[in-house]
Amino acid sequence: MRINARKLRRSLICWLALSPLVVIVLFPFAVMILTAVKPAEEVFVYPARWLPSTFRWANFADMWDATKFGVALKNSLYVSISSTLLAISVSIPAAYAMARFPFRGKGLYRSFLLVTQMLSPILLVIGLFRLAAMIHWGDGNLVDKPISVIVAYAAFNIAFAVWMLSSYFATIPRDLEESAWLEGCGRARAIVKVFLPLAVPAMVVTAIFTFINAWNEFAVVYTLIRSDANKTLTVQITDLVAGRYTVEWHQVMAATVLATLPVSVLFAWLQRYLVKGLALGAVK
Amino acid sequence: MTRTAFGRPLTPWLLIVPSLALALFIIGYPLYNIVFQSVHEVSRFGLIRDFCGLDNFRKVFADPIFIASLWRTLWWTLGVVGGTVLVSVPVALILHQDFYGRGVARTIVMLPWSVSLTMTAIVWRWAFNDEYGMVNVTLQRLGVIHAPIHWLATSNWAFPVEILVGILVSVPFTVTIFLGGLSSVPGDIYEAARIDGASAWQQFRKLTLPLLRPFINMAIVLNVIYVFNSFPIIWVMTQGGPSNSTHILVTYLYERGFRLGKPGEAAAVSLVMLAMLMGFTALYLRIQPKEGEGT
Repeated sequence: MRINARKLRRSLICWLALSPLVVIVLFPFAVMILTAVKPAEEVFVYPARWLPSTFRWANFADMWDATKFGVALKNSLYVSISSTLLAISVSIPAAYAMARFPFRGKGLYRSFLLVTQMLSPILLVIGLFRLAAMIHWGDGNLVDKPISVIVAYAAFNIAFAVWMLSSYFATIPRDLEESAWLEGCGRARAIVKVFLPLAVPAMVVTAIFTFINAWNEFAVVYTLIRSDANKTLTVQITDLVAGRYTVEWHQVMAATVLATLPVSVLFAWLQRYLVKGLALGAVK
Repeated sequence: MTRTAFGRPLTPWLLIVPSLALALFIIGYPLYNIVFQSVHEVSRFGLIRDFCGLDNFRKVFADPIFIASLWRTLWWTLGVVGGTVLVSVPVALILHQDFYGRGVARTIVMLPWSVSLTMTAIVWRWAFNDEYGMVNVTLQRLGVIHAPIHWLATSNWAFPVEILVGILVSVPFTVTIFLGGLSSVPGDIYEAARIDGASAWQQFRKLTLPLLRPFINMAIVLNVIYVFNSFPIIWVMTQGGPSNSTHILVTYLYERGFRLGKPGEAAAVSLVMLAMLMGFTALYLRIQPKEGEGT
C-alpha cells in the first residue's frame, strides 16, 4: 500500500511536469477538430469561441465537394500505394543480402544509402524537375504525371526500407533456412518456404511506414504535379490556404481532419515497431 | 565455409542492383543536373543557354536576401535542434519513470510525429490567425495579452513562432531516441549510486548524462540534417514573408527556382546547401572518434 501511494505521488509529479507539453501537443488537434465542426458563421466571429454552438457535420460534406477532396484522396492513395510497392519490392532483396551475406562493398552500399538520406528531395528538386521534363512520356513529358512522383518517392524511401527490413531480417534465425537446405531444399525454395513467411510482419510494418512517408510528403509532389486532377491531399489542401485572401477555414480544417486522422491512428498504433526497427538497425 | 559453398559471390550484388539502380537514377541524375545548371545561364523555362562559370553563385551571394537567409538558416537549425534537445531530455527522463498513465503520456508526446508537417503547419497557421485564431483567443481569455497579436504578419514574431512549431514536431523523434538510450542503461548502477549517497542531480550529471551522450549526439546529427532541409513549416505558414523576413535557404531556393524563374541560381543555392551539409558531416566525423576515446 505504501508503495502504491508513492507511485501515485510520483505519477502526479510526472503528469504535472509533462502538462505544458501535453497542452501544446493537443492544442492543434483541438483547434483542428473543433473548427472542422463549427458552423461557418461562428468561425469568423470576433471574439471567437472555442466550442461550437452545434456540431455541424455537414461541413465535411460541403468540404468534400468544394475542395475536390475525393479526387485528391484517390491520387494520394494511388501514389502512396504504388510507390510503397515499388520501394518494398526493390528493398526486400537488398535487405536480404544485407542481412545474410558478407560481401565486398557492403559498407560502401550502406554509406550510399546514408548519403541518399542526407540528400533530401527538396535539395534536389530543381534537378528532379529537369529529369521529369526531359523524359518523354505519352504525348508529353513526366511533369504532372503521377508516375514521376511514384518513382521519386520509391527512390527516396529505399534507404529507410532497407534499413528497417534488414534489421528485422537479421533477427530471423539463419538455422531455419540452413536446416531446410539440409533437407534438400534449394536456397531459393528455402527463402520462399521458410524465410518469407517469417518476414511478413517486418515487410508489412515497413510498407506501412513507407506508405505514411509518401502520404505525408509535400515538396516533390508540389513541384512535379501541376493540374488539380493529379494533386494529392497535402498539395490540394495547401492550395486552399496559400496565397488566398479568403480562406474557408472550417472546410480546410475538415479536410485536414480527414486527411490526417486515419494515418495518425495507424502511426500511433504501430509506432513501437518503428522504434524497435530503428533501434535494431542502430545496434547492428 | 558452408556459406560460400551455397552462395556465389555475385548473388548479393544481384540482389542489391535493383535498389541501387533506382536510387542512383533518381538521386544521381538530378545531382549531376544541378551541378550542370549551376554553371550555365538558364532561362525561366529551363532552356540552357551559355556556360557562365560561377556567375550564378556570384549573383546569389550578392543578394542580401540570400545572405540573410543563410544566417537565418543557421539560427533556425540551432534554435530548433537546440530547443528540441533541451525539451526532449527531461521529457524522456520523465517518460522513463514508472508512473500511472505512462502509456497514454507516451502516445500523446508521440502524436505530432504522426501528422504530416504540411498539415501541422496549416493548422498552426490557422491557430495563429490574427483575429479568429485560437492562440490569440486563448491568450486574451487568460489575460496574458489585451489586443490580438499579428503573429505571422510581424517579422519579429513570425520566425520565433515557426521555430517553436519546428521544436514541437521534432520532439517525438528525439524523445524516442533518448528513451532507447535510457532503456539500455542498467538499473543497478543507480542502486549503487544511491547507496553511495549520490543525490538525484548528481546521479543525472554523473551517470545519466554521460550514458546518454552518444544518443544525444545521434539525435543532434539526425535533427540537424532533417531541420536544415525542412521546407513545409515555413513555406506553408509564411512563404518566407512578411517582406522576406522568414526565408531560410530551402524556401529561398524554392522561390528562386519555381516562383521567380531563376533555376540556375536555385541550383547554385542547392550546391551551397550541399556543401554546408557535407561540411557539417565532416566536422561531426572529425569530432566523433575523440569522444569515443573519452568514454
